[in-house]
Amino acid sequence: MVLQDERKNAWKTVLFFCVIMLTICVADLIQEDIFFSESENRILAEKPEFSVETLLSGEFMEKYELYLNDQFVSRNNWITLKTEIDRLLQKKEINGVYLADDGYLIEQHLDSDFTQETINKKLELLSKLVQQYPQTQVMLAPTADNILTDKLPFQAPYFDQRQFLEQVKMTVGEERVIDLFPTLSAHAQEKIYYKTDHHWTSRGAYYAYLEWASKNEFVPAEYSLDTMQAVTNDFTGTLQSKINLPVKGEEIHIFPETLENPVKLKYDLMIETESFYEEKYLTGKNKYGYFLDDNHGLIEITTGSKVKKQLFVIKDSYANTMIPLLAPHYEKIYVLDLRYFNGRLFPFMESLDEYGNMDVLLLYNFVHFIDDFRYF
Amino acid sequence: MVFSSTLFLFRFLPIFLILYFVAPGRMKNFILFFGSLVFYAWGEPIYVCLMIFSTISDYLHGLAINASRSTIVRRILLISSIIINLGMLGFFKYADFLVGTVNSVFGLNIPLLNLPLPIGISFYTFQTMSYTIDVYRGEAKVQKNLLDFAVFVTLFPQLIAGPIVKYVDVQNDLRKRKPDILKISYGCKRFIIGLAKKVLLANNLGLIWNEISAGDFGELNIVAAWIGIIAFAFQIYFDFSGYSDMAIGLGACLGFTFPENFNYPYISVTITEFWRRWHMTLSSWFREYVYIPLGGNRKGLPRQLLNILIVWALTGIWHGAGWNFLFWGLWFAFWLMMEKLGMKKIFDALPGFVGRIYTLLVVLISWVFFSVEQVDRIVNYLKAMFGLQGAGVYTRETLFMSMENGILFVIAIVACTPLVKNICKKMSESQKGFGIACYRILEKLLPAILLIASIAYIVDATYNPFLYFRF
Repeated sequence: MVLQDERKNAWKTVLFFCVIMLTICVADLIQEDIFFSESENRILAEKPEFSVETLLSGEFMEKYELYLNDQFVSRNNWITLKTEIDRLLQKKEINGVYLADDGYLIEQHLDSDFTQETINKKLELLSKLVQQYPQTQVMLAPTADNILTDKLPFQAPYFDQRQFLEQVKMTVGEERVIDLFPTLSAHAQEKIYYKTDHHWTSRGAYYAYLEWASKNEFVPAEYSLDTMQAVTNDFTGTLQSKINLPVKGEEIHIFPETLENPVKLKYDLMIETESFYEEKYLTGKNKYGYFLDDNHGLIEITTGSKVKKQLFVIKDSYANTMIPLLAPHYEKIYVLDLRYFNGRLFPFMESLDEYGNMDVLLLYNFVHFIDDFRYF
Repeated sequence: MVFSSTLFLFRFLPIFLILYFVAPGRMKNFILFFGSLVFYAWGEPIYVCLMIFSTISDYLHGLAINASRSTIVRRILLISSIIINLGMLGFFKYADFLVGTVNSVFGLNIPLLNLPLPIGISFYTFQTMSYTIDVYRGEAKVQKNLLDFAVFVTLFPQLIAGPIVKYVDVQNDLRKRKPDILKISYGCKRFIIGLAKKVLLANNLGLIWNEISAGDFGELNIVAAWIGIIAFAFQIYFDFSGYSDMAIGLGACLGFTFPENFNYPYISVTITEFWRRWHMTLSSWFREYVYIPLGGNRKGLPRQLLNILIVWALTGIWHGAGWNFLFWGLWFAFWLMMEKLGMKKIFDALPGFVGRIYTLLVVLISWVFFSVEQVDRIVNYLKAMFGLQGAGVYTRETLFMSMENGILFVIAIVACTPLVKNICKKMSESQKGFGIACYRILEKLLPAILLIASIAYIVDATYNPFLYFRF
């Protein structure tokens, strides 16, 4: 009798597991293939072609397994489940992103990410630039982990950018460096960084702008924080993509003053437009691309300003938020992203300097500077 | 093919199990053989021929040994089988190691073969050798049915990573097994536990070891060095024992009773005990086919010590073609000999925790030889463990890493002990109706949770290596 009872129980157990497995299996077989993954931002693998060669070399099997994994039923939900389990285990860092206080996601940067060799090389390149163009100013923007340090998880390590800034000051001279640490630290309680993205907000860029104006003894143009305009309220940025958890969308603001004056932009010598901002990005995932049409190698901005001066900006994507604010001070602004430029830098800059008094601004965040700054 | 993949769990396994259970009695072995070939050939489309060759070779050797009456002929056939098996193994696994050694000793430049290692070759050659040796000894009945013998060799649950199944372990199961719901239920649960050990524990602990072992050991602080090797110790245990669990579980579903391979080795009080709890089928194989034929402990103490030395040298290099693996084996030989010479009695007499600390230290250090491979890096790592690298006690990054993985480590420690197993056993034997009902809910619910969690991690991961694939 006991055995009968045990056998009945065993049947129930086996059927229970079978139902789970078969449900998933059938659901996976039924589900149609998906072409593109929004969250992973890539094209997903498709069913591989069968041939005797690929079978014998094992290539077919590899590709087939890749295809199965990419097209697995409810893939995103499984990945989210894994991240939730990680959080249950009190993990504070997932895929290079810290789960910080107050709902902030902060990108992780470690000392071990940067070798002294690379750092020295970049400082050398910087030094050469400054020798060629003594008027160069260097504005390196700290990333969130260096300013919102008290929000980081307990004992979370981060690459000390203050220390690196001291090295930069020694290399090019303190008078050329616009140190953003004081002002950003002072405003750290305000929303100067996005919670789901690695960029600073328009507010953060504004404080940097004020610092820049102050260093150059310019009268800052009239931008009012109180009348900032929200162009969207469900922005989820790069860091949300990295951790695959649903988070609340946030707002992207602009200063409506930047829309007041007529402005002409030419992207990569080809595309012409009349606004700093591209509306089409606000309906997609990469809303930060709204600023200066995401990534371009060269932008030529003809502002409405009467000031007969030009500015040459060497930059990364952090600068995109700040450049619209600089428009009133220059007749023309050239914006160069070195990742897309393979020419000789100095002759190129020479060729653009119409009045012979071009200002040069290097505008990067610390991490992108060490990673991406290079020229020939 | 790997058990912990969507391919296996949601394509191969469902299709195979449906075909297997639907097939009538005698057809089952055919389905099993064919399925095992697909399983193996999926990862090794060319080397599958090697395994088929090994199967046919030892099948014929078995028939021939059984048919012959002459002692000399039988002995020659036995030696022939052993030479073929070890030859295959030696060629594919150790040729480049030998060539490399000859090159560095004699300053030559003989080119390496650079042959990829056929998966599972260390396992199936040992398994077929157990057949011919035992037929020779009269301990195993000769298998006249080629299909049934092929099932033994190619059996996919234990083909890739063990347990090492001797022919005598399954000779009855090959023909006489019948589907049994109690075994299937047990098998499902055992499989899921193994899957969880591998995917939830081993893989995540492996990430810690990867991070710590990637850097320059000259800058490794003490805490990080210990956390690293402890993480590796956990990883290799959960990886390997998890795989054995999955193999045993699948075997049970199919009606086979495979031998156990691990018995909570990290609670051992002596190294002697450790090797009776770790990779038990390997030490059993070496004891049966090398140690005892060499005389075991029946030819006096000096000979016994020599036998231990030989067996452990072989055990070491079975794990890999490298000097570090040989040294790893000899390291254990040393401690085993010391224990034989009286040290074991001391630890057995002292309170348990003393022996446990000793054993864990010896084992952890052994894992440095096993995992680090290059001599200079091994030395540096050991120096780091004992504070001789001058890299400090800990850093902020080390502290953060410890806290990130604190809960994982606690779970790992508990899972190394028989605590959970004993609780389950107590509950299942409960006399009260409530106790039984509780147990019956938990025995379905908990594995289901582990299963879902494991699938989530599998889908999430690109990182899913199995350490013992070099065998």
